Amino acid sequence: MKIIALTVAGGLTVAAAACSQPPADTGPGGTTTSFSTCMVTDIGGIDDRSFNASAWAGLEAAKGANSAISTKYVASKSEADYEPNLQGYVSQNCDFILAVGGLMFDSTKKVAAANPTKQFAIVDANVGQPNVFPMQFDTAQAAFLAGYLAAGYSKTGKVATYGGLKIPPVTIFMDGFVDGVAHYNKTKSKNVEVLGWNKATQDGAFAASFTDQAKGKALSDTFIAQGADVIMPVAGGAGLGTASAAAGKYAVIWVDVDGCKSAQQYCSAFLTTVVKNMTDAVRDAAVKAAGQKGTLVTGGFLGTLANNGVSLAPYNEFDSKIDAALKSEVDALKQEIISGKITVTSPAQPK
Amino acid sequence: MTATTVPGVSGVDSGFWTRQRKTGVVLVALGLIAAVVFGLLATSKAARFAVGETTSGFALSIPGTLGAVLFGVLAIAAGAVLAATGRRFGLWTALSLAAFVASFLCWQVSQAPGTLNTLALGNLAKGSLELSLPLVLGALGGVLCERSGVVNVAIEGQFIAGAFAAAMFGTIAGSIWAGIIAASIGGLLISALLAVLAIRYLVDQVILGIVLNVFALSLTAFLYEQFMQKNQDAFNKPPRVPQWDIPVLGDIPIIGPTLFKANIFVYVALALVVAIHFGLFKTRWGLRTRAVGEHPTAADTLGVKVLGLRYRNVLLAGLVAGIGGATFTLLATTNFNKGMTSGLGFIALAALIFGRWNPVGAFLAALFFGFANQLAFSISALNSPIPTQFLSMLPYVATIVAVAGLVGRVRAPAADGKPYVYG
Repeated sequence: MKIIALTVAGGLTVAAAACSQPPADTGPGGTTTSFSTCMVTDIGGIDDRSFNASAWAGLEAAKGANSAISTKYVASKSEADYEPNLQGYVSQNCDFILAVGGLMFDSTKKVAAANPTKQFAIVDANVGQPNVFPMQFDTAQAAFLAGYLAAGYSKTGKVATYGGLKIPPVTIFMDGFVDGVAHYNKTKSKNVEVLGWNKATQDGAFAASFTDQAKGKALSDTFIAQGADVIMPVAGGAGLGTASAAAGKYAVIWVDVDGCKSAQQYCSAFLTTVVKNMTDAVRDAAVKAAGQKGTLVTGGFLGTLANNGVSLAPYNEFDSKIDAALKSEVDALKQEIISGKITVTSPAQPK
Repeated sequence: MTATTVPGVSGVDSGFWTRQRKTGVVLVALGLIAAVVFGLLATSKAARFAVGETTSGFALSIPGTLGAVLFGVLAIAAGAVLAATGRRFGLWTALSLAAFVASFLCWQVSQAPGTLNTLALGNLAKGSLELSLPLVLGALGGVLCERSGVVNVAIEGQFIAGAFAAAMFGTIAGSIWAGIIAASIGGLLISALLAVLAIRYLVDQVILGIVLNVFALSLTAFLYEQFMQKNQDAFNKPPRVPQWDIPVLGDIPIIGPTLFKANIFVYVALALVVAIHFGLFKTRWGLRTRAVGEHPTAADTLGVKVLGLRYRNVLLAGLVAGIGGATFTLLATTNFNKGMTSGLGFIALAALIFGRWNPVGAFLAALFFGFANQLAFSISALNSPIPTQFLSMLPYVATIVAVAGLVGRVRAPAADGKPYVYG
């Protein structure tokens, strides 16, 4: 009887393992002309509708641009999965292994150092290995614009931001946001307050999760109770808790991928999005690597406002609600940052 | 409540220094910290406590330093009374701890920059309850299961199955009621697997629970990719449960927004706490459940159908925990996402143990988790100088302290996790 039970229980795990396989995505592997790109997601999973999703879209776009490219991914369930997942793709002889996220810094560095002829790429980190192509984004620049916009849009004079975890790719948004608000206060002699992040002490409000939407909602309810009317969650899926509860009571600034594309059902809540154009960066890197198979791609990519690696998304449904003067001020500010007249700084900026 | 008093626990203490008196001394020490440390750190700026849901309404105000010292002294006094008398443990402990928290808040609120020096107590209370709802329902599911002798580690799995079903069928039918019913059926399905494998096939219940969690998380992830992700509007856009505003009562300070501007889940959770407590300790079903959980052989001898009762309770547990799962997709937000339960099933399990396998205890424990979480959020919104990492730890640190210091030794039902074989 126990044997039956064990078989059933075992069957469940096998079934579960089978279920977690992604839908058919493997190309015609094995032929000499093919170029396999393999992506390891961080714990947010492939359809976090922001970070991992846009990196994956980049690989898919690369496949569209060069039919020899095949794509596949593996989702990391926990931080302990990073290294085995990367190692697994080395064993599968992937031509281009993409690690998504600064959290994978240590694992990528270790695996890349052990396989110096293999091409790796990493988003949001620079591990300093010649065979790892870094893609980084100075998101503080775009978040600065968002902070200025939020301060100008706010009726209550209070705006808020919170993060998922206190890690540089998250806090860089918050730094830029705070500075943008400060810039607004300086030029307009106003006193708009920012809740949830203190740039000087580098500390603030965090959901301690990228998935728990109840915490996202609780945090935004708290900010609303304190009088804020614009909130920028930098917390992946947990931020959806904020977006879903907006219902016209407050405006949300989304991050990474235009909210009206990544979380369409909440489009009416998004004032704008601080976009990190990972899709194009990943696509270009993968296409370049495929074009010179066998030779390592060197250098790196730093996304800025100037090269459109970071940007502010369209205002979508808020377009008519934002003052035309404010819009042109934001546009002018963008040019000032591009021209170097204003320098946006953050301890979390890529160096 | 007599059922939770375990002979032998009080026998640990002897002489003058009972557990009650020792706790009193610890509370005095905590009060001293509050009066001195919080008093010194607080500023002379006013600490304002708004009684409503936002900071704009009527607010109680006290200068920060004065408040921190005053409440610290109150905490010392309550602790001292307990240490001196050793009586009315619950009352004095609660008073002392509440004063300690109040002193802490006076410090935190008074140091907030600019015009942020107001805390909305209504929001604090409401947020605490809302964050604790899945934990309450999950822990109640645990009570039903474990009181009859089946360990329920699969709460996480019941949550995610419930959350998924609520989102899916709530969207298709366009109704929260369809969502809630679907959620309870989702939880029930995971429970049915647990019941059959644990009771019929005698699989180790802890391992089984973990396997079921992995199974439910992966299955919902797979279905999410196959259906929801491809068509969010058709399958992943459930309505949110409405907030029922009860006139007059809803305007009561602090409690009003929490209890009378609430939603269906609040009332279901509260009703279930009362119903399950009454059922367990006042009805024939409850007596039998407890008997089966403590000594199934004896219950069997007296004619109680052990396995039938266990099946029934485990299935009921799935229904309740499944409704807990619905809070994720119908209350906290209005979409399903893979792994969105974020391990809260295990926190519910902890609340069950922290609450000594008692429905009211589990409810209070869950509320405590919710409060600690919401407190951390409220403070971080005031630009607190306390590092975020510490605030994130707060619920867990507070629990360890509470379990070690206040709850005393906890004891599971004697036959918990032990399969029963006839003959």
